[in-house]
Amino acid sequence: MKREELIKKWLDNELSSEEFKLFHKLDDADELMKLSESIKAFQIPSFNSDSTFEKINQSINPTKFRSKNSWTRQFLRIAAIVVIGLGIYTYIGSLDTRISTSIAEKTSVILPDASHVLINSKTDVSFNKNNWGNNRDIKLEGEAYFKVSKGAKFNVRTSTGTITVLGTEFNVKHRDGLFEVMCYEGSVNVNCNDTDQLLMSGDSFLLLNGEIIATDKENLKSPAWKNNQSYFKSMPLIFVFREFERQYKVILDYQLIDTSQKFTGSFAHDDLDLALKSITLPLNIKFEKLKQSKIILSSE
Amino acid sequence: MTDDLKENICDETLFSAIFKRHSKDLHNFLYYKFGESYSPADQVQDAFVKLWENCGKITPSKAKSFLFTVANNATLNATAHKKVVLKYQKLSHKNYTHETPEFILESDEYMRKLQHALSNLSEIQRTTFLLNRIDGKKHKEIASLLGISQKAVEKRIYSALKKLRKTITEI
Repeated sequence: MKREELIKKWLDNELSSEEFKLFHKLDDADELMKLSESIKAFQIPSFNSDSTFEKINQSINPTKFRSKNSWTRQFLRIAAIVVIGLGIYTYIGSLDTRISTSIAEKTSVILPDASHVLINSKTDVSFNKNNWGNNRDIKLEGEAYFKVSKGAKFNVRTSTGTITVLGTEFNVKHRDGLFEVMCYEGSVNVNCNDTDQLLMSGDSFLLLNGEIIATDKENLKSPAWKNNQSYFKSMPLIFVFREFERQYKVILDYQLIDTSQKFTGSFAHDDLDLALKSITLPLNIKFEKLKQSKIILSSE
Repeated sequence: MTDDLKENICDETLFSAIFKRHSKDLHNFLYYKFGESYSPADQVQDAFVKLWENCGKITPSKAKSFLFTVANNATLNATAHKKVVLKYQKLSHKNYTHETPEFILESDEYMRKLQHALSNLSEIQRTTFLLNRIDGKKHKEIASLLGISQKAVEKRIYSALKKLRKTITEI
């Protein structure tokens, strides 16, 4: 099949010049050429390979395609971790140290300047270790006894008032409606309601439900609670009961009792029955223990 | 080929070289086979994205057949063999002064016949024939693109030519 061979070779553009002449002698050579020429009109609408490649690049995960600068990225990653780490370290360092006690729990803290804080039950104390030497500030909610070493101003801040000292021993009691500062050594300045009051050793400052109560000099060396006792002098009974509930895990029901009557005396923190008796006997109060550590008090 | 020095194609420069080498062939192949309705450029894009996603498993020499298989399969699923009519552009006739209106009319008629004849070809015939005639691909190149023998390509093109001529003269 000479003819078919020729056409096939022509299709593959493999004709030699000799064969080309032969091909031209075919009776339908013109027809074939015309067809081949016309076919070119069916050429494709142009294909924009650049924009297609752009689209492919976009849909492919872009991070994979940045592999060239991988070492800079690696470096930046490490740098970021270091920066974040430093940030967290400084932030945690700048946070307040916070100490809380629960019912019947006492604890003590030694501050960075060797000042001593003894913390009574149900109390929150917080302070910042940073720059402690120049800025001795401590926040208090509850009751604590301070033995402050000499140094810069030492502030105890409560929501009711601020106590400022240079170096002494004193006790601060800040409970609902009660704010009491007792100075055992040196002098203490109490700032409360924009008025300053200087306490000397043995003096105390007492604020009951917003009223300043005059008090006598005491001759105690340290607060009674330091020795597991709670001592009260002409204190409304309600405050005694509240303190009682802080020292023992009990609930007192004192609805039947006049809680405004004054109480002078003390109770121990380690013997519930004895403590109950030492409050109730002088005031002629009966007590009855129920389950779930509930105690009902009533007048005799 | 130097391609196989690398085990896979997960490399930006290699990938872009593969794109440059095969994207146009792939695009034209899809166009000749399925026409314009199935937007060949998008199919090319999808096929290359798939190629990149699987780049770890594919050696450079396998990339081409992967691309053609993926694109072909994706298109097959959707086209359901509808009739492909390719558009033609008006050939820029040189301003022959001797062109009579009859001649122009005649050649328009011829182009319409040719279009009809092309759409009557089988997908395989049309694809090989147009790759050869329009893109000027040698039989050997087409054979390697489609993964068939050179002899088969030759046969297909020849049969396509015969069928075209037959259809044109019949109308």
